[in-house]
Amino acid sequence: MMGKVKFIFDLDGTVTKQETLPTITEHFHDQSAIVELTEQMVEGNVPFIESFIKRTYILGKYPVDEINELLAGVELYQKVVAFIKKHRSDCIVATGNLRCWTSKLADKIGCEFHGSECTLENGAVKKLTTILRKEKIVEQMKNEGYTVVLIGEGNNDLEGMRLADISIATGMTHNPAASVLSIADYVVYQEESLCRLLNQLC
Amino acid sequence: MSTAKSVVLSCAGIGSRLGLATTKALININGRSLISWQLELLRDVEDIRVVVGFQANDVINEVLKYRRDIIFVYNHNYFETKTGTSFYLGARHANEYVLEVDGDLLIHPHDMEKLLKTEGEFIAYADIMSDDAVFVKIGEGGVVNSFSREIGDYEWTGPACIQKKKLHYTSGNVFNQLEPWLPMKGIKIRACDIDTYDDYERALKFIESWDY
Repeated sequence: MMGKVKFIFDLDGTVTKQETLPTITEHFHDQSAIVELTEQMVEGNVPFIESFIKRTYILGKYPVDEINELLAGVELYQKVVAFIKKHRSDCIVATGNLRCWTSKLADKIGCEFHGSECTLENGAVKKLTTILRKEKIVEQMKNEGYTVVLIGEGNNDLEGMRLADISIATGMTHNPAASVLSIADYVVYQEESLCRLLNQLC
Repeated sequence: MSTAKSVVLSCAGIGSRLGLATTKALININGRSLISWQLELLRDVEDIRVVVGFQANDVINEVLKYRRDIIFVYNHNYFETKTGTSFYLGARHANEYVLEVDGDLLIHPHDMEKLLKTEGEFIAYADIMSDDAVFVKIGEGGVVNSFSREIGDYEWTGPACIQKKKLHYTSGNVFNQLEPWLPMKGIKIRACDIDTYDDYERALKFIESWDY
């Protein structure tokens, strides 16, 4: 009905049950402003890129391998992951999070995975080199002739959602950003309804 | 994909003729919101799609009190469009057969149960009751032959059930979506459409008349 479909998933709060950056903060007992920065970003009060640069600067000093290991153990929405595994070649996970922090988690999810890039020094983050923009992936997939479905909930999903053919806001972990709701085609609050809708879009 | 029919509840409108300054899904019917009555009738339906527009957040929050597994569909252009648009948006990625239920409709529970069990396509109509009715003209065997603003045998209230593939984008009404496919099977139900304040008062009486 819709031609070939590509599903692009946000990671935090859509595939994972927890937000990943606050998980790192908690693990290292870091009392910094990370949690507040994340909340402010999700609510759309601080631009994603500004918040991400600040958060990466704070957490970048911790050992990359340990973070990678930690995030591989983060709790996932199992039904969403099962959908992704079943439709592996039609799915992409796109996160602003660092690739080097999430590569093990990516292996576990098992589909094409995009994240932000950095250089490393002594096993820690040295410098951010690229910050992922989801809208670029949406654009690329549309140019390749796909009908693009973007699933997400944060302010950094907004531009990608605007460009996508179909956008689904998720309120499974926390309420979606108001900006996202102002343009989304759908909003769902449980993984059961998300998966039902995804199957209807196949 | 599930073969059961999807239900599209259209709750995007501003309810301007009613004058209660609230979208019709949220109006109070005997201590509960209208949409809570509808959700109760639809408790056994898996795929419920609630189309939201005006007061979207309020409608969503009200629905989530009763069920969290709803697919909410946005009609962002609710001010410029009508129920036909909401029906199309709600149905476009739904299951093969879609049951359209207006957000301002009170249906007798027994009749709703009967409609949910009815296979295939149909149009439901009721005795003429509301101030601002669209009428249906009925032919032999109860089939719906036409809709009319002027005159008819019964009032078009919905619900209607139709195959998703027959629906197209329109800025018009649900009955405009159905017109190209007439004649269709008709089913008489007990229902009350709430467009005006008088309709609202009639609805309150109508619900008192239910004997379960």
